[in-house]
Amino acid sequence: MRRHERLIVAAGGVGLFLLWEVLVRRGALDPSLAPAPSTILDALLKLARRPEVLASLGVTAWEVLAAFLIAAPAGLFIGFALAEVPFLGALFRPLINFLFGVPKSIFLPVFILVFGVSIPQKIAFGVFTTLFVVIMGGIAAVESVPRELVTVSRAYGATPWQVIREIYLPSMAPILLESARLGMIFNITAVLLCEIYGARDGIGYRIAAWGENLQMPQLYAALVIVAIAAVFVNEVLRVVESRLGFWRRVA
Amino acid sequence: MTKTLVSIHGVSHRFGADGAGVLALDGIDLEVPDGQFVAIVGPSGCGKSTLLSLVAGLRRPSSGTVFCDGERITAPMPRKVGMIFQEANLLPWLTAVDNVAFPLKLRRVSKLERRAAARDMLALTGLAGFEEKLPHQLSGGMKQRVSIARGLVQDPAVLLMDEPFASLDEQTRMLLGDELLRIWSETRKTVLFVTHSLNEAVYLADRVIVLSARPGRIVDDVAVDLPRPRTFAMTSSERFGVLKERIWQHIRQAERR
Amino acid sequence: MTRVSQAALYLSILAAWEVLPRAGVIPRLFVPSLSEAVGALVENHGEYLASLPTTVGEILVAYVIACGGGILVGQIIGASPRARRMLLPVFRSAYAVPLVVLYPVMMVWFGLGAESKIAFASIYAFIPTMLTAVAGVAALSPALGETARAFGATSLQQILFIALPASLPSIVAALRLGGALVIVGVIVAEMLGAAEGLGFLITRYRTLLNSPGVYAGIILVLVMTGMHELALRRLERMVASYRET
Ligand SMILES: Nc1ncnc2c1ncn2[C@@H]1O[C@H](COP(=O)(O)OP(=O)(O)OP(=O)(O)O)[C@@H](O)[C@H]1O
Ligand SMILES: [Mg+2]
Repeated sequence: MRRHERLIVAAGGVGLFLLWEVLVRRGALDPSLAPAPSTILDALLKLARRPEVLASLGVTAWEVLAAFLIAAPAGLFIGFALAEVPFLGALFRPLINFLFGVPKSIFLPVFILVFGVSIPQKIAFGVFTTLFVVIMGGIAAVESVPRELVTVSRAYGATPWQVIREIYLPSMAPILLESARLGMIFNITAVLLCEIYGARDGIGYRIAAWGENLQMPQLYAALVIVAIAAVFVNEVLRVVESRLGFWRRVA
Repeated sequence: MTKTLVSIHGVSHRFGADGAGVLALDGIDLEVPDGQFVAIVGPSGCGKSTLLSLVAGLRRPSSGTVFCDGERITAPMPRKVGMIFQEANLLPWLTAVDNVAFPLKLRRVSKLERRAAARDMLALTGLAGFEEKLPHQLSGGMKQRVSIARGLVQDPAVLLMDEPFASLDEQTRMLLGDELLRIWSETRKTVLFVTHSLNEAVYLADRVIVLSARPGRIVDDVAVDLPRPRTFAMTSSERFGVLKERIWQHIRQAERR
Repeated sequence: MTRVSQAALYLSILAAWEVLPRAGVIPRLFVPSLSEAVGALVENHGEYLASLPTTVGEILVAYVIACGGGILVGQIIGASPRARRMLLPVFRSAYAVPLVVLYPVMMVWFGLGAESKIAFASIYAFIPTMLTAVAGVAALSPALGETARAFGATSLQQILFIALPASLPSIVAALRLGGALVIVGVIVAEMLGAAEGLGFLITRYRTLLNSPGVYAGIILVLVMTGMHELALRRLERMVASYRET
């Protein structure tokens, strides 16, 4: 994006919020459906000072993180195994492709049957939604390693460990990070879905409750928090991804 | 008499499980004196790349032995043998200088030392000023120069080149051929140079080895008695034509069989 | 060899699904046996069938809104390099926002009925559909149109013979992705809060701890997404052959 275009986009965003504010103040938008941005901001600042809300955010963050810390290594391990062991690949890859395409959200009730409404249930569901993305990423990453470079480094006397460190890791890193990032998006969505569907704590639980009680300013403020947090995580991972992939030709 | 640097004795190579696979090379005997520039030609699929990979120690021959500088080759010996491939095969995440330094890095030479050596090699191959470029910022010819510099950086006695200019355009490849001769005359490496181009073979080499169609056998060993330094004008000389004609006859016969 | 071992793999998965719950290795509440789940579908088929009109109706309307809108906006944005430069980064970042959190808002706005499901599924599927369409249009080579003009094609001919066939594959790809998301969006919305529909039925069976009923519902959803996938793959092939002529 060029500089002035960036300004236009930013101005457009600000303009939308201003329009929203004006429409509410003029009475054209019903504040009980869409409260004014100023009201939402006010609610946001108040929420940020309520310890129980911060605790709920903490619970959600913990569930997301735990699910990710389980799903990412497990998915990578499975992905590498499927890519590097021909027998396993031939046997399981069609199945994995199929499962990758199956919608995961509709299995949520099953997780409640198995784990009850609990934190382990949310973590397990997060793992379930994230796992397949990471597996596919792991397979793609291994397959992206150029065989010729492995031969070259062998010709120059690289040990197997050096081949992994000097060739495999750098060439896989951007793809691995990309799949981790996509997995994280799915993971956050999955955990929030769990919390809205049935939970005792977590920001998704509070969102559902505020919605039921028609507490719109709080509801919108929570949406803003969640959106900012998710976009932030995504952008951070994306920066790391492009740092590690600096050498990839920009198309 | 200079000493023999590379000697290949009774080498045959069969791919695949014992006895079942493709016989790629059959009974190759070749002695290469120190400092000689040898071109290897032969029909496609006759085992040229296989032969180089045996000298590089990337595989072991099914039978026979390969010696380099008196030592039997069973595994890659990067300090004695440098290899340059058809594609430059640079590591895309390393700059030109770090690519050239890569073989030294594998040997845990300190960063300062290996970068200094790499810089010298880039200068030798005409790439001074491009040290910090990434591969995707270099042209095809420049990449191949980096690859040659990488082959030279450990100062190996032998340079193996597998169709190094095949993916370049005609002009770049002639320029690089002259560059290679200049580098060779400055460093006096022993070169095994695989090519499909008879012009390139005769123009560059002291000696041209002609392989038959698969399984590859040596069917001719042609001494190129053109004076050095070679010039473009020589390519249209009568002697050049005669040598090319002789090699071509063999290849045509080999293909026909 | 792989064919055989794969067939064996699938058969043993199905067999395990049948045998393990029966043998009590897996509690039936967690996973009922295959025959039990299918049995529930057969036994209560009246109830499942009765839930379908609502759900399918919602899906169809949301399909039109999300895919129609997504493809239309995608074509417009995709055709202009400036619009792509300015808007795509915004949409790519927005893609990270977990849209499920919007469902409570939709409920407040539209109530418990079909409208909230349609609105939610439409929003849920919109961005990915649009991004797919944009990618297709952006990949078109401008040389095509120029060649056609050089041969004196009229505007109508250009649209008919160049623009349409050239962007058809990306449109089908957008439908394939967007349609799947719409189906899931509607079902999830019904699970979260509804008074009828297949998603509602699944959630009700879950509260009753009737796990065969839950699994039967899930199987039905999978059949729907599977049929959609097959239909669109077919369409993809038809489009490919149309392009070749
Ligand atoms: N890894 C391998 N496994 C099995 N067969 C192989 C392998 N590598 C090469 N071959 C076979 O051995 C023969 C010689 O291959 P090689 O690559 O050495 O030929 P070449 O002379 O370099 O050919 P070209 O001129 O096309 O590069 C070919 O028939 C090829 O099919
Ligand atoms: Mg070859």
